[in-house]
Amino acid sequence: MEEENGELNPESGRASTKQHQEEEEEEDRKVVKFLDSADSYLDLFESLSSTLRQGWLELATARQSMGASRINSALFDLKYHSAATSLQVIQDDVKQPNFTLCKWVSIDNRNSSTEEAKFDENELFEKNSTNAQLRYRGTSEIQEKRPESNVSTLTVDDQIQKERSKSLSMFGTLVSPKLRSAQISFETALDTLVEMANMRSSLLSTYDQVHKDMASTKVDEKLIAQVQV
Amino acid sequence: MYGFEALTFNIHGGYLEAIVRGYRSGLLTAADYNNLCQCETLDDIKMHLTATEYGPYLQNEPSPLHTTTIVEKCTLKLVDEYKHMLCQATEPLSTFLEYITYGHMIDNVVLIVTGTLHERDVQELLEKCHPLGMFDSIATLAVAQNMRELYRLVLVDTPLAPYFSECITSEDLDDMNIEIMRNTLYKAYLEDFYQFCQKLGGATAEIMSDLLAFEADRRAVNITINSIGTELTRDDRKKLYSNFGLLYPYGHEELAVCEDIDQVRGVMEKYPPYQPIFAKLSYGESQMLDKAFYEEEVKRLCLAFEQQFHYAVFFAYMRLKEQEIRNLMWISECVAQNQKSRVHDSVVFIF
Repeated sequence: MEEENGELNPESGRASTKQHQEEEEEEDRKVVKFLDSADSYLDLFESLSSTLRQGWLELATARQSMGASRINSALFDLKYHSAATSLQVIQDDVKQPNFTLCKWVSIDNRNSSTEEAKFDENELFEKNSTNAQLRYRGTSEIQEKRPESNVSTLTVDDQIQKERSKSLSMFGTLVSPKLRSAQISFETALDTLVEMANMRSSLLSTYDQVHKDMASTKVDEKLIAQVQV
Repeated sequence: MYGFEALTFNIHGGYLEAIVRGYRSGLLTAADYNNLCQCETLDDIKMHLTATEYGPYLQNEPSPLHTTTIVEKCTLKLVDEYKHMLCQATEPLSTFLEYITYGHMIDNVVLIVTGTLHERDVQELLEKCHPLGMFDSIATLAVAQNMRELYRLVLVDTPLAPYFSECITSEDLDDMNIEIMRNTLYKAYLEDFYQFCQKLGGATAEIMSDLLAFEADRRAVNITINSIGTELTRDDRKKLYSNFGLLYPYGHEELAVCEDIDQVRGVMEKYPPYQPIFAKLSYGESQMLDKAFYEEEVKRLCLAFEQQFHYAVFFAYMRLKEQEIRNLMWISECVAQNQKSRVHDSVVFIF
């Protein structure tokens, strides 16, 4: 029995060491993932700040060019209309919600469009989705379709341009290129905000996992200490 | 007859010419702008402006200031000066002074109509109107559904009535129609002002022809650039250009077919007065075009003061004052947004 125990112990020892190493590596991976997420989040924060500053300055430049009476809050359209851009929150995992931005695809357009336009709008929907998972799936789908449907891609871009012009039309139809640049900057800022929301969600989820691992490591260490005593 | 204004101008216009030249000496100098550009907060700007002729208008404004407050108060000064000159003026100077404000009147009409289309409150819109462009029945504009009603109910009794003949339709007002209405009215106004100055003759006609031709040409370039990539057709674009100016008619033919900024540059560089403006820009860039045009305009407006006994000094002063207010707005925005490194992007020094 003691010999049997003697033969068994080295193997189980090696197995537990290997398992311990794997656990440690997994914990390290989670910590690295957490730090990467935190770094990306801070980068996105800085990028957002810079994009917003640029957007506000471009807006001020547009006011300088077109005049204060042509660009002011009194011209905002208060008529009921569907939002040109919407945000979807997908909460498959309670602890890690996922945010998707759908730009320039208003419900009014979807309801009133023809068959061909609906196909174009679905392309638009997929193209403009900023969900991290859908992005890869959507991009590969679009890339597969691209050789066959370059024309539809161009039509989608035209549609996006039309929607952009439509939203700027509250300031007039002949607006300065600076106002259009400001619109692009704020649009980019919106994309960055959604990316930040997703990154923050991932960051918090990774933090929870690391925290849990640290807590379970402490419990294990306590148990080991008690056994040794 | 040109050359004999010295004999008779001072009888009716001498006092006001002296007044406007006095106002001109109160315009901010490069030293003032340098001080303003170094301000850290809007309160600093207010403090510096209190030491200028804007002092009485800003000194009682409570903190925290907003950029629109600074612009409003500076504009009030311009309005007070204008009203002082208008109430002292006799014909034809009084008509000339009224012509200067018709541009603001058109802007106010478009603001009210657009705001009403967007279901905004009329009182809120009236507060945003330029004070120089106000007229009695302006609030009634909110009732009109199309241009015919706009004309019949309100504008028939205003100085803008003659300008509506080219754009009266029964189509409902929408964003595109309103834009075309704005530009058509402004075109008619500029042409009418030009004809009026030609009738006045003398130094007024000569100097104002140059200034209004520059304005017409600048409008043509801006309409071209702003309509690139929009639904406005070439024919519609050409209809918005004024029927005078250096670019009329051949430059307009070429501008009407331009599809990008480089083609616009190619057209404008054929005209020697505009070559220096476009030489300042790099290819594909239009960001600094506005500043280049403003600088050229200020140069021409300052030159108007080199001659006496004409009405163009009044027009020149009003425009220079508006440029000064634009400068103050830009400086205030840069300070408020903590972007002082960009403050010299759009400031145009007058002296």
